[in-house]
Amino acid sequence: MSKKIGFYIYTGDGIGEALDIDKLVEVATGLGLEIVRTHADLYSPEGAAMVKQDIDNEGVDAVIIAGISPRYEFEILDFPGIIVEKASLRELVTWSHPVNADDENADAQKEHVQELAEDYIRMAVVKVQKSEPIEPFKTETEEINQRILIIGGGVTGLTAALEAAEAGHESILVERQAELGGWGAKLRKQVPVGPDYSELINPVVHDLIDRVNASDKITVKTNTEVARIGNAPGDFKVSLKETGTKSEWDAPFPLTDEEMLDESGKELSAEDQKKKYAEKNEGRKEYMEEDSGAGVCGAVILASGWKPYEPAEDEFKHLAWGNPNVITNCQFEEIAKKGKIVRPSDGKEVKSVAFIQSPGGSKDDADFPYASVATSLVSLKQAKYLREDQPEDGKAYVLYEHMRASGQYEYFYQGLQNDPGIFLTKGDVTEVKDNGSGGLTVNVDNTLIGGDISLDVDLAVLATGMVPTTKDDPVVNLAYRQGPGFRDLDLFGGYCDSNFICFPYETRRTGIYAAGGVRRGMTIEESMEDAAGATLKALQCLKAIDEGHSVHPRTWDFDYPDFYFQRCTQCKRCTEECPFGALDDDEKGTPKLNPSRCRRCGTCMGACPERIINFKDYSIDIVGSMIKSIEVPDDDEDKLRLLIFACENDAYPALDMAARKGLSWSPLARIIPVRCLGSVNVAWIKDAMSSGMDGALLLGCKFGDDYQCHFVKGSELSEKRMANVAESLASLGIEAERVKMAQVAIDEYDQIPKIINEFMAEIVELGPNPFKGF
Amino acid sequence: MAERKRVQPDLEFVKGVMEAGGDTVNRCYQCATCSIVCPLSTDESPFPRKEMLWAQWGLGSKLAGDADVWLCHNCGDCTKYCPRDARPGDVLSAIRINAIKHYAQPKALANLLDSAGGVIGTVIASMLTVLVVAFLWSLYTKEAFPIPEGTVVYHKFLTVIPIDALFLSISALVIYAGIKGVLRFWGDISKGAGLTDSYTGKAATPSLGPFLVKYVWPAVKEILTHERFKKCGEVAERATGHLWVLWSFIILFTVTIIVMIQADVLAILFPDAGFETPLVQYHPVKIAANIGAVMLIAGIWMLRNMRNRKTAEGTIKSTTQDWILIWLIFAVGVSGVAAEIIRLMDVAILAYPVYVLHLGCVATLFLSLPYSKFAHLLYRTTAYVHESWARDVRAGKAGFGLEKMVTGWQYEGKDIH
Repeated sequence: MSKKIGFYIYTGDGIGEALDIDKLVEVATGLGLEIVRTHADLYSPEGAAMVKQDIDNEGVDAVIIAGISPRYEFEILDFPGIIVEKASLRELVTWSHPVNADDENADAQKEHVQELAEDYIRMAVVKVQKSEPIEPFKTETEEINQRILIIGGGVTGLTAALEAAEAGHESILVERQAELGGWGAKLRKQVPVGPDYSELINPVVHDLIDRVNASDKITVKTNTEVARIGNAPGDFKVSLKETGTKSEWDAPFPLTDEEMLDESGKELSAEDQKKKYAEKNEGRKEYMEEDSGAGVCGAVILASGWKPYEPAEDEFKHLAWGNPNVITNCQFEEIAKKGKIVRPSDGKEVKSVAFIQSPGGSKDDADFPYASVATSLVSLKQAKYLREDQPEDGKAYVLYEHMRASGQYEYFYQGLQNDPGIFLTKGDVTEVKDNGSGGLTVNVDNTLIGGDISLDVDLAVLATGMVPTTKDDPVVNLAYRQGPGFRDLDLFGGYCDSNFICFPYETRRTGIYAAGGVRRGMTIEESMEDAAGATLKALQCLKAIDEGHSVHPRTWDFDYPDFYFQRCTQCKRCTEECPFGALDDDEKGTPKLNPSRCRRCGTCMGACPERIINFKDYSIDIVGSMIKSIEVPDDDEDKLRLLIFACENDAYPALDMAARKGLSWSPLARIIPVRCLGSVNVAWIKDAMSSGMDGALLLGCKFGDDYQCHFVKGSELSEKRMANVAESLASLGIEAERVKMAQVAIDEYDQIPKIINEFMAEIVELGPNPFKGF
Repeated sequence: MAERKRVQPDLEFVKGVMEAGGDTVNRCYQCATCSIVCPLSTDESPFPRKEMLWAQWGLGSKLAGDADVWLCHNCGDCTKYCPRDARPGDVLSAIRINAIKHYAQPKALANLLDSAGGVIGTVIASMLTVLVVAFLWSLYTKEAFPIPEGTVVYHKFLTVIPIDALFLSISALVIYAGIKGVLRFWGDISKGAGLTDSYTGKAATPSLGPFLVKYVWPAVKEILTHERFKKCGEVAERATGHLWVLWSFIILFTVTIIVMIQADVLAILFPDAGFETPLVQYHPVKIAANIGAVMLIAGIWMLRNMRNRKTAEGTIKSTTQDWILIWLIFAVGVSGVAAEIIRLMDVAILAYPVYVLHLGCVATLFLSLPYSKFAHLLYRTTAYVHESWARDVRAGKAGFGLEKMVTGWQYEGKDIH
């Protein structure tokens, strides 16, 4: 489809003085464009009116703005229904490459900068020429399902159901146990959920249960588990079953990496793998099979919470674990719920209790595994139980390495501290032992009260943590190709969270949001707030799918990947590498995209060796053509060319910031923004090298345990792919060093010039690309 | 390894501190702001931070061994800057009040003098005692009772001899109880400072002469000048008032002794040598006494004003104990001056009752010395003396004649640094 392109050059902000605008116009007209205009105040109503006039009167259906970075001033020049491309002349050319007229090399420098601007114009034009109009994705069903599945009927799930109901959404609340309420219903009292925070309150969960039962928007299913969740957000097919039973609709588990190998460590043949898979999932339906009896939900909130950490028999020997009078906080709660606190060994009323926060003695000050603010507060709360039972002479010792009472809970801590029978000290609990008279002796070193002390108590309580239910159990039981659970949760100790700081509630499965204790150790108040947050995310998700754009994080993106299946070799790279499990496959291994699961990162595009996965405005061909549009002088050693793929999420903003801060880098570099380094196909590297460019640099997010990649795995995958491409380049006689990847965080803009210039220096050292001129 | 210290918090102790005005003690979370802002706290043994924690934990014996409690003059700086409103100044006051009760013997007297009613009762009881003695004395002197005839001369009502008999017996009790308390206190703080554990295994015992010269006299000098008290941040005015009261006591005590010697000894030995009371107004001793009386009233009034203001500001808290002492001293001063003026005005019907009231107040104040807040005179002075003494003992410069340094800061045999 041929387009009528309008091309507009902004000459303000010093662009007109720094560049030869007439020559830029010439370049554009030379590419066959008829409408090429300049404007000194393009980003103004007048400028916008000029463009609009061309759209209305001249039939312009694609617009290129050469001026300010697309990340700024984006609202004024926005024309719905029209392809708009922006070339950054200000940030990437003039601001980042100022030329001092007094410099003896001024003319040469000017030439470099002019060439840079001309290349960005060529790249923009070719991109627009090759882009196709975008049509939003529409689900197969007429309307997307607005109902929400909530897994877990504790405080978090109950709150989520009520929040959804208040927003007008129906929900199905699934609880494994016979009763709603979860752990919140097993408490004698609880930590406050509002001002003045200083006293214990009665558990709030009972009120939540009443409200849920009274709501006609909430369907409660107790004694029920999720067998499987199939399909995609907007149209999840949910198969439920009775707790603890087997179902043919139980989600199958794919083979693990180890299971795919035979005894000698060699990979099993496809046939054998299939057999093994069938054995492993005997009695379970294929994951792509659809349960006609399944319920339909639009989004899922995972509020399955936590379970108590249960110390192993030989754990915490120095704390006398195994002695009947050494118990966990959950066991203590159980005793306290029944009535007056009594000693397990002999039923005697307890007068003194040591609450132990950290098991490491003097060697390690870490709290118990899976401890959190919640476990600290629980110790304070339970200390108060004892004082309620024994107001005259009850003594509760709270022995801590860290007293975690964050935010408003400081008031709770203060309130309990005022009780004269609650004794607090920092210290290393080194030993707990039987004191020979029915109780225990607790030895504490390095206490605040001076030195090493020992205490005689009736009972010792270990402040053990809250283990997320997702640690050993998929819980959501997705019928996805990549398996029923979430990937890589061991990075977070089993907690269900994929990018804690940037995207709370978000999991690595689109449309499924985690809240409450499954996400991190938290209090009841925090869980309720979390439930509200996750519910809002679920509603956002439904809205996004309804409108046909990406759910997260590219919420403006209506496009989705298109597969040219005729050439698919069923290599499965896309299905395996998709960080979000968006792709399923059929028996033969042909991928099946679920667009509403897809986050449009392009990792599949970067993975595909056949280059058959493309977007309408971002494809192998478009980027390849942009690379080829860059003019590479054949015989000028001063004009080497470096191609930079910059991740749009962190690296590209860092470049903009560097430019705005007046930092400068080599004018020989040409920058192409990419959605994620995961979308960089090695074909582009080959394109760059074959068109005579001298080096390629990939600027992406940090990866590893503390990854910052918006798409979780993109930069990590890219690193692996580039290692492979280096090998194949070497076989062609091109130095592997010409391709490099660098990690940059969004706030490391000051590092940008160094990264680019140092690499440029390495390229100069290597000399021109031997393929130049071919 | 040394024996591990078995800690048994005394919940009653904590409650006691809370009831005695230290109800905020549990708010402390050990940030140490108090020790930093305190103008008197030392680097070696900072207070009141550690005292706060010990009090929270009900470690009564540990606090009993802590002389630092008494080195505090309750200026209120710590309370003012405490980020958590734990009011360390008030807590230390409460601990001191409880310590006084702890050392008081017999306890019944301490309990009696603990309340305003008890003090008023004691004043009335003292007045009745004076009246009984005066009545019996009138049988001997044949003077009219209760109002002797003629110009007002208190001598007629009660000569110095029965007064001495009354007051010397109170003195005996006060001195006995005071010395007993101070010795026990000394023992406790020596133990608390680790001074009983030299390598010789013996307690450091001072020899009297050097002890008086090297430790007691400098401490007394410091107290007489209020050198340390004046460093207290919030209370310059308080130090002045306190200094006036202290010096007025010294003056009044001295003139009382002089008059006692004159009237009891010299007047009997030399009946015509003019040692008779009352002294004429221009007599140097009389002048000194009048100056003392005025200083006493002015000083205590300053303290009262300061305490009112600082209490209203919230810098310090005031307990019954504080007000009892202030009003009792005030009553002593005002009744004394009133007795003198009315005597000079020669209004017999008023003069003798006021005189009895004055004697009752003086007796009560005197009696309360080891039992009420007044006892800070004994214990703070002792703490001052002990501070420099302990420093030298630890440095091996005193007590044992030690060659070897006893280092560190010890408690019951255990190094607690």
